[in-house]
Amino acid sequence: MSALLQVFAREARLAWAGGGGAAGPAAFFLACISIVPLAVGPQAERLVAMGPGIAAIAALLAVVQTAERLFADDASDGTLELYVLMPVSPALLALAKVLGQSAATLAPLPFIAMVGGIMFGLDFAQSALVGLALFCALPALALIAGFAGALAAGVKRGGLLIALIAIPMMIPALIFASGAGRAALEGEWDRAWATVLLTLAVSLGTMALMPFGIAAAMRARTG
Amino acid sequence: MLSYFSNPQRFDQLARIAIPVCGFGGLVLAVIGVYISFFASPPDYQQGDTVRIMYVHVPAAYMASAIYAGMAVASFIFFVWRHSLADAAADVMAPIGAIFTALALATGSLWGKPMWGTWWEWDARMTSVLVMLLIYLGYIALRGAIEDRQLAARMAAILAMIGVINLVIVRFSVEWWSSLHQPASIIRMDGPTIDGSQLTPLFLMMGAYTLLTAWLVFYRLRSRALVQRARSIQSRREREGM
Repeated sequence: MSALLQVFAREARLAWAGGGGAAGPAAFFLACISIVPLAVGPQAERLVAMGPGIAAIAALLAVVQTAERLFADDASDGTLELYVLMPVSPALLALAKVLGQSAATLAPLPFIAMVGGIMFGLDFAQSALVGLALFCALPALALIAGFAGALAAGVKRGGLLIALIAIPMMIPALIFASGAGRAALEGEWDRAWATVLLTLAVSLGTMALMPFGIAAAMRARTG
Repeated sequence: MLSYFSNPQRFDQLARIAIPVCGFGGLVLAVIGVYISFFASPPDYQQGDTVRIMYVHVPAAYMASAIYAGMAVASFIFFVWRHSLADAAADVMAPIGAIFTALALATGSLWGKPMWGTWWEWDARMTSVLVMLLIYLGYIALRGAIEDRQLAARMAAILAMIGVINLVIVRFSVEWWSSLHQPASIIRMDGPTIDGSQLTPLFLMMGAYTLLTAWLVFYRLRSRALVQRARSIQSRREREGM
């Protein structure tokens, strides 16, 4: 257990090491949201309708950005091999590793999404729901990005490859996270809550399954 | 049975029989199927001659899923028993499956324009086929990007296996998503019943697609094995020459 906590803490520390690197995804997310009105026009009703979807897409892209860093360095300096040799389940270790990094880098995203929702003209309750739905989707997004990163670790300029692998897999989380916000926009709060729960279900299911995929990729590398 | 044919020599014997049988059978079925589809079958009472696109489209969509399933099974066999032939099979199947997926999308779109009045409708089925194309492309790209062949094979196998589970979840979530905003009129692609005069060309074309795919897979597998053998002979000669 303590080994898992240490891996979790190590990833969080690594994300913050080298100054401000952990703020990268948050800044990217903010930039993504900010350019949308500039591209589609400032009409209020259009922006309101797009708000939840834009938040989900921007979050997806921001998470994909983090994936290359997660495994590439550890694959090149041999840390992954040591991880596989540790007397801990590699699946649990992969879970701790991905969640450690995402806790450090992705935590601000739901709050930025809330602020962004208000800027897009959603009311406070709707914005809060968009943030909540995003929070529920983040574990799924992070683990899928981690899986793609583990497969492509060591590939030179693997960022595009990771995006190509990860994005189709992220579609369920994207659909439910943005669907919750859209249901709230239509005033169907029961449906919105149910969709938040579905988003959470996708995340929990991904947390149950994807660590085994990441662990298999880590082991395939070593032997 | 698996280990029996994973022996390269036995596989070569099998392929020598399978290549002409599948190729010739597929060709015959394709000729008859195309003739019946386009000339010797009646036009649909609703769709008119447009229904003939279906005889090209439905088998392509079926092959797209069938080849993915085959790829996943081959990947599983490779991952568990490390038969390199299974990995080669998954490798040669991927581009064929991607092309059938693209063909299904293109013909579906050609059919949709006269029938639905639009090239593309974001309905559940079409969207999931589009996602499947992306997954195929990701698989091919991953294989191409990793230089170490053995590592590429293992990583691709893991991706193909996780991809199966993922395709099921995507299918479910996309259906949920499209039910959120149901279009005003739903046009069902498959009518309540299909007439026998339409089933004949459909099955003939499905058989033709299946046999031709089998022919391509066997052909490509055999040529890969031959290339590998030629390389090993060449390197041995070079070593002995020195």
